[in-house]
Amino acid sequence: MSTTMQSPRQQAGREDDDALVERFGSSRRSRFSRHVILCAIGLFMMYPLMWLVSSSLKPNGLIFSDLSLWPAAWHPANYTEGWTALEYDFGVYFSNSLVIVVLSIIGNLFSCSLAAYGFARLDFTGRKLFFALMLGTMMLPGHVLLIPQYILFAKLGWLNTYYPLLVPNFLATNAFYIFLMVQFMRSLPTELDDAARIDGCGPFRTFWSIILPLCRPAFATTAIFTFISVWNEFFGPLLYLTDPELYTVPLALRQFVDSEGQSAWGPMFAMSVLSLAPIIGFFIAGQKYLVKGIATTGLK
Amino acid sequence: MKAAGLGLAAAPALAACGRGFGGDDDSGDGVTLNMVWWGDAARAEKTQAALDLFMERNEGVAIEVEYQDSGPYQDKLATRFAAGDAPDLMAMRMDSLREYADRGALLDLGEYEGDLDLSGLSDSAATLAAVGDSVFGVPAGLNTIGFVVRKDLAEQYGADIPDGDTWGWDDLAAFAQTVSDASGGEVYGTGFDAQTLANIVVYCRQQGEDFFTEAGELGISAATVQSWFELIDGMRRSGAYPPAGFFEEIGGGPDQSYIAQGKLASQIIPTNNFLGYNAACGGSLALLRIPGETRSVRRGQSVDCPHLWSVASASKHPEEAVKLLEFLTNDPEASLATGTTRGVPANADVAEEIKPSLEPDDQLATEYLMALQEEELPRSYTYPPGGSAIADVLDVIAVEVEFGRTTPADGAAQFIAEAEGALAG
Amino acid sequence: MTASAAEAAVMPEAVRPPAPLRGRRRARRDRAGYLFLLPWFIGMLFTIVPFFASLYLAFTDYDLLTPPEWIGLENFTAMFSDPALLQSLKVTFVYTFVSVPLSLAAALGVAMMLNRGIRGLPWYRAVFYLPSLLGASVAVVLLWRYVFGLDGIVNAFLGRFGVEAIAWTSDPDYALTTLIILHIWTFGSPMVIFLAGLRQIPVMYYEAAAVDGASRWRRFRSITLPLLSPIIFFNLIQSLIASFQTFTQGFVMNNGGGGPANSTLFYNLYLYQQGFNQFNMGYASAMAWTLLVIIAAFTALTFISAKYWVNYDN
Repeated sequence: MSTTMQSPRQQAGREDDDALVERFGSSRRSRFSRHVILCAIGLFMMYPLMWLVSSSLKPNGLIFSDLSLWPAAWHPANYTEGWTALEYDFGVYFSNSLVIVVLSIIGNLFSCSLAAYGFARLDFTGRKLFFALMLGTMMLPGHVLLIPQYILFAKLGWLNTYYPLLVPNFLATNAFYIFLMVQFMRSLPTELDDAARIDGCGPFRTFWSIILPLCRPAFATTAIFTFISVWNEFFGPLLYLTDPELYTVPLALRQFVDSEGQSAWGPMFAMSVLSLAPIIGFFIAGQKYLVKGIATTGLK
Repeated sequence: MKAAGLGLAAAPALAACGRGFGGDDDSGDGVTLNMVWWGDAARAEKTQAALDLFMERNEGVAIEVEYQDSGPYQDKLATRFAAGDAPDLMAMRMDSLREYADRGALLDLGEYEGDLDLSGLSDSAATLAAVGDSVFGVPAGLNTIGFVVRKDLAEQYGADIPDGDTWGWDDLAAFAQTVSDASGGEVYGTGFDAQTLANIVVYCRQQGEDFFTEAGELGISAATVQSWFELIDGMRRSGAYPPAGFFEEIGGGPDQSYIAQGKLASQIIPTNNFLGYNAACGGSLALLRIPGETRSVRRGQSVDCPHLWSVASASKHPEEAVKLLEFLTNDPEASLATGTTRGVPANADVAEEIKPSLEPDDQLATEYLMALQEEELPRSYTYPPGGSAIADVLDVIAVEVEFGRTTPADGAAQFIAEAEGALAG
Repeated sequence: MTASAAEAAVMPEAVRPPAPLRGRRRARRDRAGYLFLLPWFIGMLFTIVPFFASLYLAFTDYDLLTPPEWIGLENFTAMFSDPALLQSLKVTFVYTFVSVPLSLAAALGVAMMLNRGIRGLPWYRAVFYLPSLLGASVAVVLLWRYVFGLDGIVNAFLGRFGVEAIAWTSDPDYALTTLIILHIWTFGSPMVIFLAGLRQIPVMYYEAAAVDGASRWRRFRSITLPLLSPIIFFNLIQSLIASFQTFTQGFVMNNGGGGPANSTLFYNLYLYQQGFNQFNMGYASAMAWTLLVIIAAFTALTFISAKYWVNYDN
């Protein structure tokens, strides 16, 4: 985080992260007790990851008999075995997933922010109807849409390609993110638009140079949520991808499992842990943008 | 406009650096068969070896294979059928066979008698997928359920393992009681699901009834359901069988099984999983028949299959699909490649031929099944449409009985009423 | 405005238009709005066709394999006498009305703690978000077995306080509770949204309040809550919709069966069973549209209530 190019006002905002707000009446003792509470909750939240990591390092026979978090015997070879256990090595699946995720994030950010700006800050005929329709699409259980959608994508010749997984994201079909951005944009003062209009800005300029920069937390949230949901998605890729060379990580992970025979649990756990790494990494890298809102950009 | 433009611009740009953006349609001149089944990567390898052999011998036929875990497999299969995009050759579950066959979605293999020779199959195997005069599938392999007992635990707790060919349900109860008592509750003598259809079907047949009749109706009586519940309930009360809530329905597979973890001394398994279970139990398992086979009204066990191979009636290449099916069923080399990953080869001669190449545990399971096939067994009838709803009903009521929320008698009556309703609806 | 009374009821305050315009200016504004919505309009083609296809199927007998047959309202009337369906409604309502408030409260509480400039904030944020990252892979399903199993960590922990082992997942009296606990445990998603929202609140308000000597509670009541209300509103609507449609949790916990004894038979799970296991896609579609009406009713109620507590202008 560089602070060299910022105005004093912005620096005051940035301070918020560390000391500024803590000045408002929290004693050292209350701070300490807060850390204790947070650490206790943190341990509770960490347990599953620790369990997964620990299982991924155990030999196959111990995974289900040795319940302790500290493996009685170590078997790091699960990782090397798992990486090459399937038809293609996991690098292929990881890069497939990555291509889909990155494009989905771009698509969602782009198309949903446009639609959200339209809904939140512009007035046009039928706006309420369209908004209600958009919310409505969130409310219908997806299972009954699968077959018509499959037929539609089959007619377009998109089976066994990434198009069914990607194109909808470029067309703002994810109402959740539109609604999220709408709420963020609506909480910005309307004087902003008025001021921009007086300065001669059209709606596109206003959108691009005024609203977008102020909605960074909403974009960070959208990007993170898209990453997680697309990265973990199983059913869409299952339906539309048939060639194992195109498989995503969740599809590949499922191929370790055979409910009727001996499954390669160790390698499966190892690859599951690896599959979490990009999500956690992306969240850690992206989360600093979660906090770059209006408060830290020094808006009056 | 901007968004659409960007979307269209982005896709081809990435096509250059990635797969999955179409354009590599490699369907040449020949016939391409689409074959789907469920299983894992290990099974895929064995299957592919057999298919490679087939393609070698049949130039111009390419096979596109796709496989998933069994749950997702069902969903995708149903979706593809509904969308008119059915695969040519597919793995079909016994309990969904008639859902598809009755609606004309599957090819009647009886019409391909000349191309597909089923004479090498035992009667009980050949009729598994028969509906009326038509045959809608061929067993991909054969299996049945068997009782496995941990020899090491039996010895440790001083319980003699009864003769597996002639034992009765009371022998099981006595054996289990001894183990439970001697272990002080550490190990339960036996444990098997009351709600698993395969289990109650055998028990019911032993009582002289067919769970599903030839006409596709419910043939089990309330009294039989009640005695099944009571059989388990009695053992549960005496401690021979685990208490309510013991069986947790998450995950599955031999490695996580209670018997492998040493919490149970015996349980029921599908015989084609014997190798996996015995490996998970350190080689200490004995494979017995289901209790009561020689002491009841009639035999209960039957020859089943983990899944069938069926051909879609909409297949554009039925001849080739049937040819592949013939190869998989009757060619020993195909079965040498696949082994017993889908059970014992349905063709008895083929099974005999590949037996020496199998691992000892698989040989044992194969012999168990071949012996069974040579005996006079009552025929097992296909699940009628709506059969899966009956499995759901049994699942609910068995748990109600397990937790004492209803009595075995009331539960049995309720089961009959709801199951008949499900079949009628 | 051409909005009908019904539309107005669905979205009164949340999307409040500026003063109406007339004539050419009106047309110009319309054009700008439609341009922004263009991708969405195209996308709606992908959504709306399947959407209305399923509405049609709701009035048919459709078994996936043979063409649908029009049967009028039969699917809808059959729902009233389907005990499993009523059970699934009950499960879904209990789950929603217990877990949504609790998880939102947890999310807001922790977000407040984290927002007040605390050292190690990125670390805490990541850790609290972890459970929401896990998804529902096979490994994660196995994980639950060992957390909530009879000899799992939860029972081991409770055992120290003398509590007898509980069959968290296989006892019909506990299974739903277990899923509710799991849901609350993934409060990370709404927490992240709250955190982002909290950072939109200008620090100057707090500075001014501190100068006035306002108490912490006072600052929460009169600054944080009103300024965060659009985000609370979003999280509430979103959680309601998602919770009514809960599927994966029930699917994961009990091999998709809704067991033990239908105690975790979520509405959506039952719908899926009907559609894909029992080939009653017509019935499943009717169920889907009934759920849509239920969700829309609750969403509308929330939108109406928004007038009294959601604050859009500072």
